[in-house]
Amino acid sequence: MRRARAALELLAPVLLVVLVALFGTIVSSSTQTYVVTTLVNVAIVVALYLFIGNSGVLSFGHISFVAVGAWTAGILSMPASEKPAIMPSLVGFLRDTTVGNVPSLALAAAVGAAYALLVGLPLMRLSGLAAGIATFGVLEITHNVLRYWEKIGPGLNTFSAVPETTGLLQACVGALIAIVVAFAYQWSRYGRMLRATREDPAAARAVGVSVYGQRLLAFTLSGAVAGLAGGLYVHLLPVNAESFYLDLTFITLAMLVIGGATSLWGAVVGAVAVSAVDSFLAEAENGVNVFGRTLDLPSGTRIVVVGTLMALVLILRPAGLTGGRELRVPRALRRSVLTKFSA
Amino acid sequence: MSRSFEGVHALRDVTLELRRGEILGLIGPNGAGKSTLVNVLSGFDLPSSGAIELEGRDITRWRPSRRGRAGLARTFQHSHAFRSLSVRENVEVAALGAGTPPRAARERAEELLAALALSANADAPADALAQGDERRLGVARALATSPRFVLLDEPAAGLPEAELPALSEVVRSVRDDREAGVLLIDHNMGLIMEICDRIHVLDQGRTLAEGSPADIRANLDVAAAYLGESAVAE
Repeated sequence: MRRARAALELLAPVLLVVLVALFGTIVSSSTQTYVVTTLVNVAIVVALYLFIGNSGVLSFGHISFVAVGAWTAGILSMPASEKPAIMPSLVGFLRDTTVGNVPSLALAAAVGAAYALLVGLPLMRLSGLAAGIATFGVLEITHNVLRYWEKIGPGLNTFSAVPETTGLLQACVGALIAIVVAFAYQWSRYGRMLRATREDPAAARAVGVSVYGQRLLAFTLSGAVAGLAGGLYVHLLPVNAESFYLDLTFITLAMLVIGGATSLWGAVVGAVAVSAVDSFLAEAENGVNVFGRTLDLPSGTRIVVVGTLMALVLILRPAGLTGGRELRVPRALRRSVLTKFSA
Repeated sequence: MSRSFEGVHALRDVTLELRRGEILGLIGPNGAGKSTLVNVLSGFDLPSSGAIELEGRDITRWRPSRRGRAGLARTFQHSHAFRSLSVRENVEVAALGAGTPPRAARERAEELLAALALSANADAPADALAQGDERRLGVARALATSPRFVLLDEPAAGLPEAELPALSEVVRSVRDDREAGVLLIDHNMGLIMEICDRIHVLDQGRTLAEGSPADIRANLDVAAAYLGESAVAE
């Protein structure tokens, strides 16, 4: 029973991601870019889930880890010959070092984890509003450092000349890695102890669980997944510091909340559903043909609609579309299968 | 130790020793300071003065989680279940928190669920439990940490009379089989008098009496604290 439950918890989001990727193979190349972005969003939202969903502590700062992952992968995978033109002030070892696609993604994850650990050491003692505000401060600090410190990146410029290696396959594999990591964590002893602290920190402390230690571990692990997602992002689109700021913070948190923040299934469903709506609205802002009529929405509509959707979900279904639960086989079906096997 | 809140003395110069292999009852009228004492002992509150030692080590400044890992467990007066986790997971997490390896934690959970008549609800979410079952779950969780000392804060509250013998049996087994020291707070005097080796009585934050159940039963000061001076005089 326990193994069947675990298998379903893993297979359901994996299957959804694979279906999304397969869908990407039958659509036009412009639509395929949205599908690939959806898969990268899945990785980001799963990273958010890993910490926020399991700990119950809100973080507005996770896009910082996506950003440092993107910076790491972008700088290190850009051809050395292109670097002086785009990043003339880059420090020596970053200017002279170039790595391949996969190492750049691994390094993005490692730097994301290291940064999350560094930030988490002082911040994981906080809860509630204090944690939210402090992590928002991290986002602001990171954004401004990346935006203006040209020794470690392009500053105000866009990352161009980064090899565009994130296609359907790479994005799908990246999303699947994020899902497997989150699944393994939530079934581990550490995941269970962190969820206990989410439910009742005092009772968790009483049985020997270190709330600080468990939160720090999850924060670091989710920083690694977010860093990997950042690496995927920079290999997908030309990005700059603005790409990893308030809009992405809002939209990815909306995905988590709309899907259901306390389950892996909810994170993946939210990322896919909101990405679909967001992609359609982004197209509609540029004019899109719907059943023979042109739909031309004003700029900014997508954020307004996603914001409204999030508010509606919070009012009507506070635990999200999935109820914040993993996918379960309905009890009636379970019973009928068990009866069949025992007969 | 003493503990005061903005001039109000919740505990005044209370000295309490809990030994391994005994059940020490802690009784007193409402507001006597029993829960404050448990909070101070378990690290959820700090004493204003005095010290707490665990087998010779000064643990006064230790965090609750460190005390839990060191073998000092507690239950809570009100439900503190990990509500979205299953009943089994609640007990397993407690064992894991104390450093038990996963497989052993699972076995320990099964054993405790059976001992506390919770096996039938093992896969149910903890928020689906009735009040009496929640009490037993709290006890199971505390025992899952393999404590050397356990503070049980009103474990019988809300339990039907018929379930008290089973609870008594579990508390006794903690003392006899695991050789742990049990501090038992409860308003059920029948339970306290039946299973405690010694009883410590608090009244208005002070120690009023300490002794065997027979001594306490015969103590007029204790009767006065519970029933009022006039009732004792009659």
